[in-house]
Amino acid sequence: MKVSFQALSRHVELSGVTPERLAEVLPMLGLEVESIQTFGLAPMPLVVVGEILSFEKHPKADRLSVCQVDVGDGKPRQIVCGAKNFKANDRVPVALPGTVMPGGFEIKVSKLREVDSMGMMCSSEELGLGKGEDGLLILTPQKPALGTPLNKLYGAPDAVLEISVTPNRGDCLGLRGVAREVAAALGLELKPLKIKTAADLAAAPSAKDAFKFVRSTSEFCPYYTLRTLRNVKVGPSPDWMRRDLEAAGLRPINNVVDITNWVLIELGQPLHAFDAKKVREGIEVRAAKVGETLTLLDGKKINLEVGSCIVADAERALVLAGVMGGVESGVTAETTDILLEAAWFRPGEVRRVARRAGVSTDSSHRFARDVDPAGVELASRLATDLFIELAGAQEVGPAVVVGKPPRADVTIELPAGFISAKLGAVIDDKQVEAIFTRLGFKVSSSAKGFSVVVPSYRSDVTRPIDLVEEFIRLHGSEKIPASRPVAPLPGDSDTRSSTFTHEAALRLAGAGFTECCHYTLRDASEIERTLGASGVTQLALENPLTAEQSHIRASLIPGLASALALNVSVHANPRGLFEIGVVFRPQADGSVREFLSVALLTSAEPVVRSWKSREAFDALRAQRFVSDLTSLAGIASSRLSFTAAESGLWQEGHASLLADRGRSVEGGCGILDLRWTRQLGIKGSVVAAEVFFPRAAFGEALRTPRFEAFSSFPPATRDVAVIVPSGVVASEVHSRVQQAAAKAAGKDFALEAIHCFDVFSGPGMAEGTKSLAFEIRWRHESRTLTDEEANRAMGVVIATLEKGAGWTIRK
Amino acid sequence: MQTQLAQLVATATQEAAAVSTRAEMEAYKARIVGPNGSLTAVMKSMATLSKEERPVVGKLINEAKKAVEEILAALQQKIENSEIGAALGAAVDPTLTSPDAAAGSLHPLTRTRERILTTFRKLGFTVAEGPEIETEWHCFDALNTPPDHPARDMQDTLYMPKSFRSADAPRRGEEALVLRTHTSSVQVRTMLTRKPPFRIVAPGRCFRRDAVDATHSANFHQVEGLWIDKNVTLADLRGVLDFFVKETFGADAEIRLRPSFFPFTEPSFEMDLRSPNLGRLSNRWLEIMGCGLVDPKVLELCEIDSKEYSGLAFGLGLERIAMLIHGIDDIRHFYNNDLRFLRQFA
Repeated sequence: MKVSFQALSRHVELSGVTPERLAEVLPMLGLEVESIQTFGLAPMPLVVVGEILSFEKHPKADRLSVCQVDVGDGKPRQIVCGAKNFKANDRVPVALPGTVMPGGFEIKVSKLREVDSMGMMCSSEELGLGKGEDGLLILTPQKPALGTPLNKLYGAPDAVLEISVTPNRGDCLGLRGVAREVAAALGLELKPLKIKTAADLAAAPSAKDAFKFVRSTSEFCPYYTLRTLRNVKVGPSPDWMRRDLEAAGLRPINNVVDITNWVLIELGQPLHAFDAKKVREGIEVRAAKVGETLTLLDGKKINLEVGSCIVADAERALVLAGVMGGVESGVTAETTDILLEAAWFRPGEVRRVARRAGVSTDSSHRFARDVDPAGVELASRLATDLFIELAGAQEVGPAVVVGKPPRADVTIELPAGFISAKLGAVIDDKQVEAIFTRLGFKVSSSAKGFSVVVPSYRSDVTRPIDLVEEFIRLHGSEKIPASRPVAPLPGDSDTRSSTFTHEAALRLAGAGFTECCHYTLRDASEIERTLGASGVTQLALENPLTAEQSHIRASLIPGLASALALNVSVHANPRGLFEIGVVFRPQADGSVREFLSVALLTSAEPVVRSWKSREAFDALRAQRFVSDLTSLAGIASSRLSFTAAESGLWQEGHASLLADRGRSVEGGCGILDLRWTRQLGIKGSVVAAEVFFPRAAFGEALRTPRFEAFSSFPPATRDVAVIVPSGVVASEVHSRVQQAAAKAAGKDFALEAIHCFDVFSGPGMAEGTKSLAFEIRWRHESRTLTDEEANRAMGVVIATLEKGAGWTIRK
Repeated sequence: MQTQLAQLVATATQEAAAVSTRAEMEAYKARIVGPNGSLTAVMKSMATLSKEERPVVGKLINEAKKAVEEILAALQQKIENSEIGAALGAAVDPTLTSPDAAAGSLHPLTRTRERILTTFRKLGFTVAEGPEIETEWHCFDALNTPPDHPARDMQDTLYMPKSFRSADAPRRGEEALVLRTHTSSVQVRTMLTRKPPFRIVAPGRCFRRDAVDATHSANFHQVEGLWIDKNVTLADLRGVLDFFVKETFGADAEIRLRPSFFPFTEPSFEMDLRSPNLGRLSNRWLEIMGCGLVDPKVLELCEIDSKEYSGLAFGLGLERIAMLIHGIDDIRHFYNNDLRFLRQFA
C-alpha cells in the first residue's frame, strides 16, 4: 500500500515528523516500509522556465537539435536536445549546470558531438514527475515567466511510503488505519473525520430512489447498503484528488470512479457505483445460478460458478461481489444517476471467488482481509459528500440498508499478570492501560484483571494473546529481556536418519567425493529414463510452473550425471560427486514412498590426463560403497541381495540392483548406460551407486555392540574350487559352500568365514562352465584343530557340493 | 699359516666385488664359511696344532674371520639395497603433484545446516524430520491457516494430483497433498506424537511455486525450531535467538524483533540481524527469520493443552544464512553444482 505523507497528514498532525522518521517507526509496529519515494517535484532551484527561441539540426547528428534558449538571464544559451515534440517559442523546464537530477546525475556545461551545450531541457520523467508525454515537458499553456524556478509552479513534493501490510492488518489498507497506528506510536491525536452527509438509514427504498428493491439472499453478504445519487455530472476530478490517487499508484479516470477509489484509499472500504439506468428494477445479492455469465470491467467474460456470491438486478448478474463490476452496469460519460453500494462481504468467499476468476483488485484485496463493518456506512456518507461537492450530485433520501453489521467491538477479559507471564518480565498495570488506551481500546479494571474493548476495525484482536502482541508492538520489542539458555532435556536425540545423513556425507567427502545439491523438480524425460512411462504419470505435479520442473525426482543419479557433464564442459576437472536427498518411488500398492537417497557417481577414469595412471574406478568399488553405506545405516551387508540390472539408468551386464526386502531398502550400482552418458558429453564410462532408504529403515536405535569372546587358537584353512555351469551366479555357489562348510564343522568346532579368491573360465575348462575357488576357515574355541579334523570336514564339504546338479570339484 | 690366511682374506675381498645377487652371495658365503669353505678348512686344521701354536694361530684366524664377516655384512647390505631398489623402482620426485583426486567436500548448504544444528543442539534442541510431500492439513490447517485464510496467498503452493497417494503422509480426509511450503509441518507432526516438554529443530527442503531468479528458487531449505514447555516466554525466545546469532555471526552481531504476522504464532516477529562483518551488507538490518510464541490455536489443533503449555517457534532459510556467511550473491549457485563454486567450501 502506497501511503502519501501529505494525505496521511490529513488524519494525524505530522508537523515535526519526517517521512524518514515514519519509515523507522512503522516497521517496528509491523508495517514494513519497502521504499520511500519522492512524489512530485523535488527541490531543484536550478531548474527554471526557459523559452526555445530557435533551433536547427545538429551538424553531426541527425537526431539532435541545437537550440537557443532564453532563461531570462539576459543572454540566450545554446543547448543540445534530443527531443522532437517542441516548436519555436515553447516554454520548457531547463536544468542549468549544477543541477542534480532525481537520478543523481549532475548537469554540466558540456559538448555533445562537438557542439557546446549549456544545460538540459527536461521531460516530465527526467524531473521525477512520472511518465508524461514523450519529449520535453511543455509549459507553454501555463505561460510561466522566464527564469521562474520550476518548484514555484509545482507544490511542495510529497513522500510516498510503500508499506507492505500483513494479511491480519486489513485495517491498514486505508490511510485512516495507518494514521491510527502512527498516532498510537507517536502519542499523537487522530484528527476527526469530517462528514456532512447525515447518518440516517432506511429499511426500504422510497419512491424517490432509483431502485425498487434491495435485498441479500446470500450468506456471504450479511450487510448491504445502497443509495441513489441523481444528476451526477461525469467529468474530470479536481487536481487535489488526481494527485492523491496518483500518489497512491492509481490512475485517475473520471470523478465518479475517482471518488470511490479515493474513499477506498482513505478508509479502506471498497465502494461500487452502478449506472442507475442500467440496473433493472433493483439489486439482489445472491448465489450465482447455473449457466450465468458476466463480462467484467476488464473485458474478461467469465462463467460464474454456481453458488458464488454475485450482485444482480432483477434479470442478470452485474458484479462479482466484492471483486469487480461488470461492463453492462458500469458508469460511463453519459451516466447521470448512480446507485452507490457500500457493503460487507465474507472475506473467505471474496478471496475464493477472486482467485477462481483469476483477478485481484483493490476491492477484493481489502474485503478478503475483513473490512471494518462500522466503516461501511461511514464510507458511503463520505463518498456522498464528494459526489455532491465534486459532481454536482443530488442525494435522494437516506441509504437503504439490508442486514446488519456482522460483528461489533469485542470485549476481551485479560487475566491479571497475563502479559507479564508471556513476556517473561513484570509489567506494571498502568503501562498496560496506557498502551491500550493509545491504541484506541477502552480499558477497565475487572475483578480478575482488565476488560479491554477492542474496536471492530481490529478484527485480528480477539484473545488475550492478541493483546500481548498489541502491548509488545507499542511497548517496544527491544524491552523483551533475554533468558539464559536452559539445560538440555536428557534422553532426547536427533532422528537416526538425520545423523546418518551427516555421517554418510562426511564419509563420502572423505573418500574424495564432492557434495552436490539439485532441484527436486525435474522434467518428464528424466523420470521416463529413471522409471519408464508409468513413473511419468505417477510423479507428475498438479500445477507445475514450467515444463522443466513438472515432476518430482525418483533418483539423484540424473542430476549428478548432468553435474558431471557440466563440470567436464567448463573444464573444472570433475571426478567423484555425491548427493544425499529425498526421492520419490512408486510402490507396488500404487502409493508413492519417500526415500532418503544416497548417490555417488564418478568417471571411471580421470577426465584430465595425469603423469601417472591409476586403476580405474569400477563397478565393484561402487558396490563396496553400497555395502558400507547400508551398514552405516545399521543394515548388515549380509541382508543385501544383488541381481543384474537390465535397463533404465544402468548399462546392461555391468551393473547390479540391490535389495533388502525386509526393510524395503533398494538401490543399484555399476556403470551407467553408456549411450546416455555419451549423449551428455562424457567420454569414457561413468560408475555410480545409489541406495534408497525408506524412513522406516531408520526406525530403531542402533544396537549397542556387546563384546563376544573369540578363540585364541589358530584356524584351519582349506581351499575348494567348484566347477559349475556358467549360468549359476556366484552368490548361489557362495551360499552352498558356506552351508556345506558349516555342516562339515558339526557341533564340535565352527565355520568362521569363507571367501571367494578365484573366478576362472577358459582354457582347460569344459565349454559352458566356470570355476569358483573359496578359502574355508574353521576354528575351535578352545584348542588347535588337527589336520585330520580339517581333512575330514573337507571331505564332507566335497561330498555335499558334488550332489549339486552339474557341479564338480576341481581336483 | 699367516700367509695362507692373508691370501684367503685377499681372495675373499676380490671375489666379493663380483657378487651381485642373493644366490651368488649364498654360494660365495658357502665357499668361505660353509662346511667345505676355505676358512672352515683352516679352522678345522687347528686341531693338528700344538698347544703353544694354538693361541697365536687362533688370534690370526679370528682376525681373518672378522674380516670375512665384515665383507659378508657389506655384501648383505649391498644386495638388500639393490633388491629394494628393484622392488620400488626409481626414486620419486617429491615436487610432483599427486595423481590422486583431492579430498571431496561438503555442500555449503550442508555445512551451514550443520553449523546451525550444532548451535541449537547446545541449547538442547534435537533434530526432527518429516515428509516433503505433506497433507494440506499438516502444512496449513493445523497451523491455523484454513483454506479461505488470506495468509494462504502469502505463498504459492505446488500441489500433487488427486490420484496421488503418499505412503508417508496419508490424507486425513479429502485434503490435497502439497509439496511442503515450510518445515513447520514437522512441528505439527512432533506435537501430535510427542508429549511436552520438547525442543526440536527441523531442517529440510521446502517448495514454492516461484520462478527461479537470484533470490528465488523452486526449492529451498529451512531450519525451523519449536520449544514446548510450561511457561515458555518471549524472554526465552529472545535468549535462544541471541545465542544463535552470536554463535553464527559473532559477538558483535545484534538482533531486533520486528512485529509481523504468521498465522501460527502470536505474537509474531521478523528477526532482523545487524553485523559489522557482512561485507557490503554490513551495518544494516537484514531480515533473517520469522519467529514468535506458538499460537494457542495451533497447540489445540495439535492436541496440546494451551492452558498448560506454551511454546516458541522460529524458522529461517538456510540459503539466506549461507549467503550471508559466505558472501554468496545468487541463490542459483547452490543448485548449479559448478565445482568452481563447490570447491570453495572444501
